[in-house]
Amino acid sequence: MPLVEVHDLVKVYGKDVRAVDGVSFEVNAGEVFGFLGPNGAGKTTTIRVLVTRLEPTGGTAFVDGIDVTSDPNEVRRRIGYAAQFIGVDDDLTGGETLVLQGRLHGMSTKAAVAQADLLLEVIDLTDAAGRRAGTYSGGMRRRLDLAQALVHKPRLLFLDEPTTGLDPQNRRALWEYLRSLNEDGVTIFLTTQYLEEADALVHRLAIIDHGLIVAEGTPGELKAGIGGDAITVTLHADASLQEIADVEAVLRGLDAAHDVRAFDHSVAVYVTDGGSRIASVVRALDEAGVNPARLELSEPTLDEVFLQHTGERLRVEEVKQQRRTAMGRRRRS
Amino acid sequence: MTALVDSLTLWRRNTLKTIRVPTVLFFALFQPLLFLFLFSQVFGSLANLPGFQYDSYLQFLVPSIVALTALNSAFSSGMSTVTDMEDGLMDKFLIAPIHRLSIMAGRIFADGSRIMVQALLIIGISLLMGTTYATGVLGIVVIILLAALFGMAWAGLSNIIALRTGNAEATMIVGITITFPILFLSTAFMPAFLLPAWLENVAKLNPITYLVEAIRSLVNDGWIWSDVMQALLVILLLGAIMLTGAVRAFRKAVS
Ligand SMILES: Nc1ncnc2c1ncn2[C@@H]1O[C@H](COP(=O)(O)OP(=O)(O)OP(=O)(O)O)[C@@H](O)[C@H]1O
Ligand SMILES: [Mg+2]
Repeated sequence: MPLVEVHDLVKVYGKDVRAVDGVSFEVNAGEVFGFLGPNGAGKTTTIRVLVTRLEPTGGTAFVDGIDVTSDPNEVRRRIGYAAQFIGVDDDLTGGETLVLQGRLHGMSTKAAVAQADLLLEVIDLTDAAGRRAGTYSGGMRRRLDLAQALVHKPRLLFLDEPTTGLDPQNRRALWEYLRSLNEDGVTIFLTTQYLEEADALVHRLAIIDHGLIVAEGTPGELKAGIGGDAITVTLHADASLQEIADVEAVLRGLDAAHDVRAFDHSVAVYVTDGGSRIASVVRALDEAGVNPARLELSEPTLDEVFLQHTGERLRVEEVKQQRRTAMGRRRRS
Repeated sequence: MTALVDSLTLWRRNTLKTIRVPTVLFFALFQPLLFLFLFSQVFGSLANLPGFQYDSYLQFLVPSIVALTALNSAFSSGMSTVTDMEDGLMDKFLIAPIHRLSIMAGRIFADGSRIMVQALLIIGISLLMGTTYATGVLGIVVIILLAALFGMAWAGLSNIIALRTGNAEATMIVGITITFPILFLSTAFMPAFLLPAWLENVAKLNPITYLVEAIRSLVNDGWIWSDVMQALLVILLLGAIMLTGAVRAFRKAVS
């Protein structure tokens, strides 16, 4: 039985914001499952339904066979959740923070303290454990936040953009750690806007856009589904729609073309063994009198997969500011 | 049973946070003493008026300062709740397998215990200043309990406003705006015989009056059970209304 089963999940905010618009998927025990999508795709909304923080508008969601709406506390006992925005208490020490989480998950003080000490060691915060978290650096706060989700040793972890805001080095270190957790048997559901992250970490992923899953599979399957390499013809920025349509027609005319997609002022043709097809593409374009600004050959990447399914490149807002109120800030200074 | 354990865990956490922030701690303890000093200086000559029934102005004032402190202190409750939400900490409590009421209970318990410490401090200082307590140590214990219970009921109002507005600043402003009028519309700062007739009637409808009068009788007159019982009844009624409202606002805010 899958560990997470989601069927036709719908979440409508207010009257007509269909944040999640009929999503179905499963997460199997032992896997790392990724939810990949751009800003506003509905990743956080889905995750908040699964961790019992949000009532769905429609559909069903089961975690470890338990309906998230009918028995939320049973679900909560089984899962760990690190939200998209860090929730670290600046007035408590790192140690106190973890022990509190353990206690709230029904652990005895003794067990919570032991587990907290262990985790502090793992996330390299042992030396800072007795200091107020308000004095921690951004990276330390991230790690403490993640550790909060782990104190009660959940077998299933929900991580909402766990590496957003980390520098590449820390991101890699976190991937390593998540991999080791997964090797110890922890099932991980994570959302990300980073294709490399999905590529490096997940066993299976779903691509979500505008509240809908547009593709699902292993990274390998999804890449294979593209139908080979992409040759992308980019026209000048002021190219007319007609010119783009012309290029599309030319590329469709190639025998080797599996698929052709236009986006912005580029047109991509998907072919097997792209390297040997470049010449024929150039020839065809030349014959049609097209003068491209750039020609690009790329192996299938998740970027391509994303592009093919959503018609957009995945753009990431690099700096996401956590909401903070004046009150919160004042106390922190 | 586990709900109680969880409430106490959160009570401990909330209390720790109060103690951790030195400015908050300092002002929580210093403010009542400042009021005690200011009011006794400014209004002290009231005691010379014919008809003033207390031995000294301080005997009359200390219960008012205890009530004022309970009210003020209680109002920070909702601000803390909203701050926890803004800081993403409420989310952590909400996805823990605990009863949601434990979250509110932990908050209100922390308000109660904080008010007890503040009341104890005021009473301690007042003893040094020469105030005498007709009901002795036991009376002091009852005074502290009445103040804390009243404060816990009042914290319900603070949470209602905080959770409905979702804004800590708004809560603070509303708190300051209603606390003083409501105190002046009671017998806290003027003995009933000095109030205009209409105000005397309003004061009778004001729950603060019952708290202040009960404490006053414990300080000055000895055990007058009807006064204490009346105050308890008012507190229970107020608490039932405010805390029900707070729990409702809480459920709505986190859903
Ligand atoms: N509380 C809310 N009320 C109304 N609309 C909301 C609310 N929360 C989210 N939305 C909307 O629902 C949609 C999906 O939001 P969601 O936060 O799930 O996206 P996301 O994939 O997590 O995006 P991001 O990568 O930016 O975190 C967005 O259009 C967002 O504006
Ligand atoms: Mg999100």
